[in-house]
Amino acid sequence: MSGISQLLGIGQSGIFAFQRALSVTAHNVSNVNTEGYARQEAIVSETRPQDDRPGQVGTGVQVTQIHRSFDTFVDQQLLASQEQLGRFNASHGALTLVEGLFGDSNDLGLGHDLNELFNAFQDVANNPADLPSRSVLLAKSQTLGADFNRTAATLTDQRQALDRQVADTLTEVNGLLGQIAGLNAQIAQAELSGQQANDLRDQRGRLIKDLGERIDVTTVEDRTGQLTVFAGRGQILIDKNTSYGLIGLPAGSNSGFLDVGYNPGNGAPVNISSVVGSGRLRGLLDARDQAIPRLLRSLDTLAAAVATEINRQHRLGFGLDGSTGVDFFSASGLTAGTFAVALTDPKQIAASATATGVPGNNANALAVVDLQRAAIASLAGSTFNDYYRATAADVGTAAKDAAQHVQAEELIHEQLENRWVEVSGVSLDEELVNMIKYQRAFEASSRLIVMGDELLQTILSLKR
Amino acid sequence: MRIADQQLFGLLQGRFQQISQRILLAQQQIASQKEVSRPSDDPNTFGQIISDKSDLSRAEQRIRNVEFGASRLDAADSALATVNQVLSRIKELAVQARSDTATASDRSLIAKEVRELHRQLVQVANTEVNGTSIFAGTKTDLAPFVLGPGDTVQYQGNAETQSVEVGNGQRIQITVPGNVIFTGPSMNLFDGLRDLLASLESNNGTGIETGIGDVDRALVQVAGTQGTIGALANRLESTQRSLDDVSDLIKAALSRHEDADLAKAISDLTGQQLALEATARSANRLFENSLLNFLK
Repeated sequence: MSGISQLLGIGQSGIFAFQRALSVTAHNVSNVNTEGYARQEAIVSETRPQDDRPGQVGTGVQVTQIHRSFDTFVDQQLLASQEQLGRFNASHGALTLVEGLFGDSNDLGLGHDLNELFNAFQDVANNPADLPSRSVLLAKSQTLGADFNRTAATLTDQRQALDRQVADTLTEVNGLLGQIAGLNAQIAQAELSGQQANDLRDQRGRLIKDLGERIDVTTVEDRTGQLTVFAGRGQILIDKNTSYGLIGLPAGSNSGFLDVGYNPGNGAPVNISSVVGSGRLRGLLDARDQAIPRLLRSLDTLAAAVATEINRQHRLGFGLDGSTGVDFFSASGLTAGTFAVALTDPKQIAASATATGVPGNNANALAVVDLQRAAIASLAGSTFNDYYRATAADVGTAAKDAAQHVQAEELIHEQLENRWVEVSGVSLDEELVNMIKYQRAFEASSRLIVMGDELLQTILSLKR
Repeated sequence: MRIADQQLFGLLQGRFQQISQRILLAQQQIASQKEVSRPSDDPNTFGQIISDKSDLSRAEQRIRNVEFGASRLDAADSALATVNQVLSRIKELAVQARSDTATASDRSLIAKEVRELHRQLVQVANTEVNGTSIFAGTKTDLAPFVLGPGDTVQYQGNAETQSVEVGNGQRIQITVPGNVIFTGPSMNLFDGLRDLLASLESNNGTGIETGIGDVDRALVQVAGTQGTIGALANRLESTQRSLDDVSDLIKAALSRHEDADLAKAISDLTGQQLALEATARSANRLFENSLLNFLK
């Protein structure tokens, strides 16, 4: 008797186990396209055998574990790559916008304006007494001034836009930190009771990658399955179910732009901008505080040099109205943002080198024209055009480098993702094979029960 | 090695994206016909383009300068040709008047014609081009030669000249001041004519003889200036030729630096379109092989 009921029990264990295995397969199939989902596998093993004569007899099968296919090493590398990608994408985006200011290819922008300015001086030199030529010169100078101002304003706007992105990113980081801390608690609770919190771990993994895209972090898993998350030089962002948020610290010395502040929960927040090593925040901070200010400084230097040099020569000459010692451009301020034409009366353009030579003398206008190819001391001995050219090439190189970094990192990221998916991704073919396998086993187990039933019938029919 | 479905999709997606990016790039190049249009396309070449454009702009401005100078010299040259004709006619008349058979009334008649010619010379010496006196030195807003009482003519221009820039540190003079042509350097043409007129009217044979000598010297002086102007015009002309060459060279360099190779861009585009089609077809085949299609 006991033998037959044991048979029924074995059949039942098969039905339970393969049903469970089929559930896991179904879960895999339905998550075939879920990003960050790690394939699960039902690990089955024999149940505890019974002592019998002449030896132990098996009692069936059971699912001992739902295994999550996961490679921690690849996952860590993927996180690092995600951080770099976030960083380079941010700086590339900013630099692409900035380099759009160099419209030289379409005969726009400062280089073109400078050429036009000197050509207008040449036209005045040809026709020193001609008022229309002089008015054209004033108009061309104003165009140059407007473009200097506009470029400076655009770059400043860019910095402000980047600063808003820093603030937004900090908010996102804090949101992610809260969610990860919450999942930490859920995972610890689930795993305490011996469960495997596979799906919760997948969710947490996805959030960690989202976090890494924004700021570089280090993670350590403790024995309860909870992740401790560090930023920069060991600042704890998440400890078990508690998260310590980041806040924006306005820096007075930097136009009130935000630094990344770390709030340890007790005392004043600490500025950790300099130890943010990667992620979007690094890219944004670099573009906001390095690349764009560098370009602005170059443009300021150029604007100051143009105004100073032309003024110096212009003051030596004489206008149609006999005026002399007059500045052509405003001498105060002298940045790209404040660059302006001081002259309003075209008669005051000092084309003549002598008071008596007015109106036909053009020697001073020609002397201004010579500045176009002069080595300018304040530009380290290069000409206006060469300096502008170097500035454009500098921005171009930075933008190109950033683009190449993005490309290279995308490649690495793709490979790592491939590797990750190779270990953790769902293969439909594999699942289909498993499905058939488990389905067959399920069928066979049910046959066992039918057979057990028949055996019982046989025995019961003995007593007729 | 396991192949997960996401790998296949990811691979396909990546490939499609790559190819689409290349197609976009080729299309941009074809549409703008430019290979380098942003600094990051090629920072060095972009810098080169900035230089090329500046060089080209300067060369074209210099061509304009040369054309302007040439028009000024042309005006001066044709004015001086008139001066030459007028002086020759005066000489002819003076030679007639010198004749021993010429009577006082003949000479006074001739004086009338010479006076008209004298006035014509003053007018030519005050020639303006677009409101600018061309023989006034840099006092271009004045009529440089002023007729006073007793056929006297005063020069109120100055001795300065105007130049245009035609190359780095190269300037070519485009005006000759009136004091070099009419009132100097070897003789004052108007003073000579004034004296000749006086001699004609006072029936002074010796004075007329002196006057003829003055007119001869004036002719030599004007011819000298014409030579100077011709030489300047020649310099401008040869400068223009070399500037045209330079500008062509820069344009060629600019085109080399920034223009897209259309043939290459179009063949790139075609190639990438083929690749896209091939990828799409192979994707189709890939999914035909799925076990799903065999489990019915």
